[in-house]
Amino acid sequence: MAAKVITDTEDAKMNMTPMIDMTFLLVVFFMLTIDLSQKEFFPVDLPFATTGVEDKEEDDEVRRFVINLTGDGTVHFKSYEFNLASEDPGEQDDAIQALQDALRQVHSERGEILLREKDGASKVPVMIHADWGAKWKYVQWIMQACAHPDIKIYKLQFAVKKPPTEKGS
Amino acid sequence: MDLQLGEPQETELNMTPMIDIVFQLIIFFLLSLKFKTIDRRIESMMPKDRGPNPAPSILEEEDKIKVKLFRRGIADRERAFTLLKIDNAAQYPLPKGWKGRLKETPDRIERYDATVAAVKRAIEDRIAAYGGITDQIVGEIVAPPPRGGSVPHGDAVAVLNAFMEAGITNVKFEGTPTPLTSSERAARAAR
Repeated sequence: MAAKVITDTEDAKMNMTPMIDMTFLLVVFFMLTIDLSQKEFFPVDLPFATTGVEDKEEDDEVRRFVINLTGDGTVHFKSYEFNLASEDPGEQDDAIQALQDALRQVHSERGEILLREKDGASKVPVMIHADWGAKWKYVQWIMQACAHPDIKIYKLQFAVKKPPTEKGS
Repeated sequence: MDLQLGEPQETELNMTPMIDIVFQLIIFFLLSLKFKTIDRRIESMMPKDRGPNPAPSILEEEDKIKVKLFRRGIADRERAFTLLKIDNAAQYPLPKGWKGRLKETPDRIERYDATVAAVKRAIEDRIAAYGGITDQIVGEIVAPPPRGGSVPHGDAVAVLNAFMEAGITNVKFEGTPTPLTSSERAARAAR
């Protein structure tokens, strides 16, 4: 029996449609799940607390400021970085002053009049997103910077984690 | 003259650039994807009439429960620990060389939790002694200088959590002084 040789070769083409469909679905999925607000959080080991309330989305107008404090005493706020852990008290004081300046500037950029209560206090809450091992005095200095008479941010939030031993975690 | 029409050709859209862009988008979203890390927060309000620059007001006498946080054994990190004192009476030492809940053994975590639970019970006893109305009681977390400021933030939050579990939501923090006083700051600026 003679073998049949196919001589008439056609261009083999891959059907790209299902792949493009899947790719678009992936793009849509990532677009919907991405949470750019999480970019504000610096990776730290948060303290644990059972009494923390669930962290939900907030009103855009009074969107909080997030101040990150790492275990080594570095403060990250927006694109700024300040070192509170210097050996020199003068440098530590400069860092606190610089944080105050940054808070004042960012607050005024967001609309000074709109974000103030009648008594001048800011409506903007500050979340202190601090490592559990950061020195407590650094947290207090951040609080003092927020409460400065030019800034008047009194609403605070401490970022905490749900203890892993709790039911449901 | 007759119009010569050529053979109709199949026109195909070149998909390659579009697929390239879409893949780049996927890579961008994949790299920027970060799952939510925080799930909870403790809300707080700083007093407007206290602190380095207080707004004028009349300070009222209040029933207070004061928890002081001391840092002991600072020279050796492995031995350093936080000592909690309630109203200058009962003392509650937290485990030495605490490395954080995620890095500790279950028995040491149990010891830490038991100490904080004892603090909570002591707070509840004080609340009962004041008549049991938590709204009228103020909690105070004090970290006396010079070493109190070195207490880990996590220990202060544990005490704050104990106050809140006991039903006291009005908790104040006694401030650690800033590194320079206002006169020292002015003198430094003048130099």
